[in-house]
Amino acid sequence: MNGAEKKARFIAPDTLIGKRIPKMDAPEKASGKTRYIHDIDLPGQLYGKILRSTRVHALIKSIDTAAARALPGVHAVITAADIVNQRPIGVAKDHFPLKTDKVRSLRDEVAAVAAESEQIALEALKLIRVEYEDLPILTDPAEALKPGATLIHPEPRQPGGQDALKPSGPVAFTGKPDNVAMRFDYCHGDVVQAEAESDVVVEDTFKLHYVTHCCMGVSGMIADFDSSGNLIMYSNTQVPFLHKREFAEYLNMDPARIRIIQPAIGGGFGSKLDIYPFEVICVFLAQAAKRPVKLVFTREEEFISSPTRQPVLLTLRSGCKKDGTLTFRVVNTLHDNGAYTSWGATTPFVMMQTFSSLYRVPHCDYHTTAVYTNNPYAGSFRGYGNLQATFAVEAHMDKLAEAIGMDALDFRLKNAQAQGEVTGQGMEFDSCGFKECLDTAAERSDFRRKFAENLKNRNSSDPIKHGVGIASMLHVGGGAKIYPSDGCGTILKLDDFGQVTLITGASEIGQGSETVLSQLVCEELGLPMSALTVVNNDTAITPWDVGVHASRTTFIAGNSALGAARLAKAKVLAAAARKFECPASDLDLRGGHVIKAASGEALIDLPRLMRNLHFSDKAELVMTTFYYEPPSSYQDKRYKGNVSAAYAWASQVVEVEVDTETGIVKMTRITAAHDVGRVLNRLGIEGQIEGGVVMGQGYALTESLIIENGVTRNPNFRDYKLVTAPEIPEIDITFIETMDGEGPQGAKGVGEAPAICVAAATANAIYNATGVRIYGLPFTPERVYRALHGKGEKLVPLTAKAA
Amino acid sequence: MNEIEHYVAPSSLEQAAEYLQRSGEVTLLAGGTDLMPQSQSGKLKIKRTLMNIHQIPELKGITIEGGEIRIGALATITEIMQSELIQKHLPILIEACDQFASDQIRNAATLGGNICNASPAGDMLIPLLVLDAEVELASKPNGSLTRRRLRLTEFFVGPGKTRRAPAELLEGVRIALPPPHHYARFFKFGTRPALDISTISIGIAGVLNTGTLSNVRVAFGAVAPVPTRAPRTEQALEGRHLDAAAIDAIAAVARDEVKPIDDIRATAWYRKELIHNITKRMLTHVAQA
Repeated sequence: MNGAEKKARFIAPDTLIGKRIPKMDAPEKASGKTRYIHDIDLPGQLYGKILRSTRVHALIKSIDTAAARALPGVHAVITAADIVNQRPIGVAKDHFPLKTDKVRSLRDEVAAVAAESEQIALEALKLIRVEYEDLPILTDPAEALKPGATLIHPEPRQPGGQDALKPSGPVAFTGKPDNVAMRFDYCHGDVVQAEAESDVVVEDTFKLHYVTHCCMGVSGMIADFDSSGNLIMYSNTQVPFLHKREFAEYLNMDPARIRIIQPAIGGGFGSKLDIYPFEVICVFLAQAAKRPVKLVFTREEEFISSPTRQPVLLTLRSGCKKDGTLTFRVVNTLHDNGAYTSWGATTPFVMMQTFSSLYRVPHCDYHTTAVYTNNPYAGSFRGYGNLQATFAVEAHMDKLAEAIGMDALDFRLKNAQAQGEVTGQGMEFDSCGFKECLDTAAERSDFRRKFAENLKNRNSSDPIKHGVGIASMLHVGGGAKIYPSDGCGTILKLDDFGQVTLITGASEIGQGSETVLSQLVCEELGLPMSALTVVNNDTAITPWDVGVHASRTTFIAGNSALGAARLAKAKVLAAAARKFECPASDLDLRGGHVIKAASGEALIDLPRLMRNLHFSDKAELVMTTFYYEPPSSYQDKRYKGNVSAAYAWASQVVEVEVDTETGIVKMTRITAAHDVGRVLNRLGIEGQIEGGVVMGQGYALTESLIIENGVTRNPNFRDYKLVTAPEIPEIDITFIETMDGEGPQGAKGVGEAPAICVAAATANAIYNATGVRIYGLPFTPERVYRALHGKGEKLVPLTAKAA
Repeated sequence: MNEIEHYVAPSSLEQAAEYLQRSGEVTLLAGGTDLMPQSQSGKLKIKRTLMNIHQIPELKGITIEGGEIRIGALATITEIMQSELIQKHLPILIEACDQFASDQIRNAATLGGNICNASPAGDMLIPLLVLDAEVELASKPNGSLTRRRLRLTEFFVGPGKTRRAPAELLEGVRIALPPPHHYARFFKFGTRPALDISTISIGIAGVLNTGTLSNVRVAFGAVAPVPTRAPRTEQALEGRHLDAAAIDAIAAVARDEVKPIDDIRATAWYRKELIHNITKRMLTHVAQA
């Protein structure tokens, strides 16, 4: 029998899409083999430590570092005076990494040390003497707005002369005439007219608190200069390409000389989107010491000096008609910016979307003032303002429904967005499973029956009351066009063993992106997951990507990977078509082989075909590149535009038991229905939803960074209470697959979505259980108990003028 | 930097007591679950000598001797939780163990450490108070090993402060076997079921006889500088038939008896409310028992 007569082999169609695929990094992580920044040591490396302010707001009169410099083992001690032309960092360029004349919050960096061990570095910090002169402390954003309030960023006094504000330039150089960091004003329609035409109007003030990310891996980096003066940073950033450019600016370097390598990142959740002083300081130390410097936070430092979720005071006024049609919303918010401006100040970009577009609102006014105070500063955090906005919106959906005597679910269904709608803000919903989410979550939780039953039992003698609440969310699910590009590049390499290297700009921060991207490529190339290797952590290798934010990676990087895979597939099939002398359209890739598309008959295995290609007289490599830019648009100056190529929807029903004698709220069940476009990795997406729900649970019930007079009172896991395993309720997850036309295999982003409506639904559930609505978070036992006994916090409404 | 100059790990109680007698500058290390975070945060300064007492056999074990249960100072929370002797005679201790921190901490933390740390919120202390436990302290003042016993109620003098002299070692606790029909319950209130410091805790014990408790002992945690017995509440409860009115009245006495403070975990007002409401709830269970 010769080869030609070998029995034909047929490969049946199969798919990876929707399967439960373990994360590629799971075995490494579970076995403790993953190398985080903590595990990396470079030869000759020194250890950096930062001296932080001991005052909340003060002038720095003098810094004496002589004793620290003299300590054996110390290689560098730096203060602002040692850095020539220090550039301000951050979203508003109002922040010097090393503070010059003033400290504005307790986390502020005053000096830094590089030494041969952490112990020596810590000892050296103790030897640095700083003389301060206290300034009045501003920790209430409302106070900070009052005329005559102490200015957090006044114009720096000129050496011999008058104060005169310069019209342009970074805040850190020119100062601010008031404490306003940023303002946002949005409107569509005519809210005055709409209010006049409303049958019911409600107004409430909500207070959202400080929480922080609590990544398992604390912040850290290593800065290393090579002998040519090129900077290599081992960094946990979520946005390596943006940071490369920004670091170049701060360090006055050519961006081409900066390379960022990301070791495995122990969680991001938005915390690693901005550049923080410690990162720049670490580079300064490496420059000063002429040695690599590693700077890793302690857990206390992580709590004290990491960004927080944006705390918000918010007054919402909403109206509707008797038939249940929403008429208008007016929103005024006061953001406590903290001492410096990071991404927290810009959360209105997302917040206003929820107010204007989650439900059909014909008239909407939205105003935010972000105000400087001496508190810790707020950054970006999974959900990006949407948890705060949804908390208020969904409280009003319940209140309005109750006011007109309409069923809470019917009221929502009546006003819910549907496919094809364009909102007042210009968002276009090409796929929209909102109503299916509402129906599914309600049905699977038996919402209507439980809601009615709980109302009846409100006044029973049992101190334990049962409640059920529903809330929904809208979030970008197809990227967010806010940078010069919202794109991502991919390089795909097929080698002579049929192995594929996926080189992607998209970073893995624990969310499972490398697995889902590999899956998309394998699906396209008919390969098993084991054929894929992902390279995604080195700016010298990977193509550009804007970064991990805005729930964009599966959608944007997925489309990019898919684009590269399709090019590779075309190339491989073209080669096979030449070899087998048939049209490429008759062929396909499946099970590691080129097959006949019609019959599934295997013609040649991929490794053999690849070697034929590589090692011939017309040698050819299969390497493809693809850059995907989503078809979204920038917002105009009035914040209108279709910023995302797709939008994600979800409804969640939270069930609680409220112990009215202690105030403790126990979550018993969460029913989540998410429009995710399409499920790619079922195991991965379930993990995303579960993790997000638990993060939302912490925001709702237990987590609170307690800041008193600018001091973080609970910088530890004993007193900052994350949810622990026994409290996690049963989570019932249903995916609504709307098959988004632009999404990779129909998928939309889901990273932030699950955390967004838990607190809002919990508030509604507590109200259902007890008849008491609580306007501030978190629902700790004492806050709930006080509210149940008429001793809740009284919140002063914000007027447009005050905000 | 680390300022520990000596590390000692005596292998007998004699050796340890001798060393302590010679030098007062000693920090004792048992499970380390309080010592490590407190020294890291600067709340506690480790003295010149760190003495690891883990290898002292006399401090180990859970035994029954002459009508008493003796629990060695080095018994871990996990050991107590798994002890059949404790399960049979002192189940209230199991209730407390079950709410003690996390599995990892229970595996390392010792009963002696929990007692000597003298936290007003110490989880094991409230049940031990209502069991009228005695601590056994060993020292070697004049060449021979001496022991003294002290009722636990007298042992605590302030947060982190006890009547243990620097030269003394806590050897263990002794608890008289409870009489027939003994009833003892513990309740801890925190914001989460694991890894939490009590907002308040309550222990109630006595001899149960058709809805009344006699030989009553009540103790409260996290409402005073030390874990404390509540004599007025005990008096109100002693022998009283527990109908609804009586329960209300006793709960009110309890609320008035405690003197908590405001801290980041709770306000004093809320703590008093909890003492009232949970005492009431626990007494309702007694009435139904």
